[in-house]
Amino acid sequence: MADQPAAPARAGYLRLAGLTKVFPGEGGPQGAAVAGIDLEVAHGELLAVLGPSGCGKSTTLRMIAGLIEPSAGTVEVGGRDITRLPVHRRDMGVVFQSYALFPHLDVFRNVAFGLEMRKTAKSEVRTRVARALDLVRLGHLGDRRVSQLSGGQQQRVALARALVIEPAVLLLDEPLSNLDAQLRGAMRDEIRRIHDETGITTVFVTHDQREALSMADRVAVMNAGRVEQLGTPEEVYERPSGRFTAEFVGRANLLPGTVTATHGAGGGAGAEVAIPGLGTVRATGDAVTPEGRATVMLRPHRITLRAAGKADAGPRGTVLSAGYSGEVIGYRVRAAHDGPELEVEHPAGAGTAFGPGAEVLIGWDDAAPRLVADDGDPA
Amino acid sequence: MRSGPVARIGWAVLLTVLYLFLLAPVIIVFIESFDTSTYLRFPPQGFSLEPYRQVFANPDFQAGLKVSAVTAATTTLLALLCGVPAALALTRLRFRGRGAVEAAFLSPLLVPNIVLGLALLILFAPIPLTDTYWGLILAHLGVTIPYVVRTVTAALAGADPRAEEAAATLGAGPFTVFRRVTLPAIRPGLFSGGIIAFLLSFDETVISLFVSGHTVRPLPVAVLQYVEYRSDPSIAALSVCLVLLSVVAVVLVERGLGLRRSLRP
Repeated sequence: MADQPAAPARAGYLRLAGLTKVFPGEGGPQGAAVAGIDLEVAHGELLAVLGPSGCGKSTTLRMIAGLIEPSAGTVEVGGRDITRLPVHRRDMGVVFQSYALFPHLDVFRNVAFGLEMRKTAKSEVRTRVARALDLVRLGHLGDRRVSQLSGGQQQRVALARALVIEPAVLLLDEPLSNLDAQLRGAMRDEIRRIHDETGITTVFVTHDQREALSMADRVAVMNAGRVEQLGTPEEVYERPSGRFTAEFVGRANLLPGTVTATHGAGGGAGAEVAIPGLGTVRATGDAVTPEGRATVMLRPHRITLRAAGKADAGPRGTVLSAGYSGEVIGYRVRAAHDGPELEVEHPAGAGTAFGPGAEVLIGWDDAAPRLVADDGDPA
Repeated sequence: MRSGPVARIGWAVLLTVLYLFLLAPVIIVFIESFDTSTYLRFPPQGFSLEPYRQVFANPDFQAGLKVSAVTAATTTLLALLCGVPAALALTRLRFRGRGAVEAAFLSPLLVPNIVLGLALLILFAPIPLTDTYWGLILAHLGVTIPYVVRTVTAALAGADPRAEEAAATLGAGPFTVFRRVTLPAIRPGLFSGGIIAFLLSFDETVISLFVSGHTVRPLPVAVLQYVEYRSDPSIAALSVCLVLLSVVAVVLVERGLGLRRSLRP
């Protein structure tokens, strides 16, 4: 997953430029549901749009589909401006959160609907629907009524219905959020497999960072109608551009401090930051304010705790609480006596477990600390 | 709830009495419709099918039946043609003054029919629309459209608008979406609304009394004018026919609603 090509040859197949939506009654650019999004999706790429509810991600998807008219900006597919094209001429496959199957048609007729609209010959409809149902592993259920299917099966029918028309772009709106946890994991792999088999350019919207990171080639993190960061899952997780991304994509300790030294530039840039209670921390990145302040991000699982002996040097802390959750133990640790409170995650069963009140030595991966621009917008 | 045999018998008796009370007029009319007497009185004097023969032989009733059937059928069709788009707009569109439009569509239900009838008479007389089919149909549309809007709105509320959007993304134009997705979803509501509209129009008396005349006289008005001078068992026989028609229609509505339930388990 680390080395996904970020910009293959056919970059910019789906292109959003300055895409904006202001709903009536929500005046002003501040209140825009989507506030000028620029985004390029390569041909055959799977892009996740990740954000909290109300961030404008679904509105963006619906503007791409043609279900909402943008207030400003353009949507292009393959170099063609489709902003003014009505929804039924756009050639988009859409999977809705509620699946939106046709309750009065059986599975076969649901999937065949798009082909009928295209006046495809009967025999071809039969083979293509069968192929689409096989692709989603429902080949044996063609004559079932939609109401006889489980949630996961309905999801697959919706997927087959969108795929069978071989759309220019496949759009998935929170496709997994109505499934239970076990099924969700399986469908995640399933959607990725189907994407790889068909090679259809796909945009999917989700509020679940695990979904986005595990499925997508690239992730666009959205907040308040804007794209906060666009990058590979690894980039977004390891090198978040700002406080919002750091806290929304995974959990993060964000520690403000004073810069004592900087070195390098560009990708190799780094700084030493004095953080009260933790001492001087060497971090990568170049997000340093002109006043010499910086915020260091430390992911909870990259911090280690050791039992503190009298003679040990290094930052110390006191365990405030410990929570067991099967795979990991989550600690809250107060650094020094008046330092910041840290979130720490240890694999359960490895090393010593600490109880509240335990004195610990705090350590971390040398590569873990990362400078994050503090945009003052907590998640 | 726990209920002993005494309570259960009590309930059964109460319900039986209640239904007898409600159905008593119908039962009496049914018995009377076979009477051999020349005027209506209970208990009947004998048994005969003569009243039914008289009903079907009566030229006033024949003409009235024709007027009522034509009026009710046309009214139903037009009420659906007006009510369905109205219900669609009221549920699927957000526009300024939506509440006012909705109120306007339902307001005829709030005005007593006698007031409506008088108002329509004053309005229709100079045009002149009184004693014409179109006058009668227009008057009936006012009281039937609200019911169609109600039933279709309820059916639309149960249909997923996302399914319509899905059809559009699959290449269906607006009319195809309506025909292939919306219409099947609201068919039970359409069916019920249509039958209710037909029955209302077929039964409508008060307004019809004002706007009808000697040429175009619907059956209820003909019946009313008949009993002003005579009351013989044939009027009971006619009532039984009308009740049977209503029962058939209500059974159809029930099956329509049952159909909806089977579509959305």
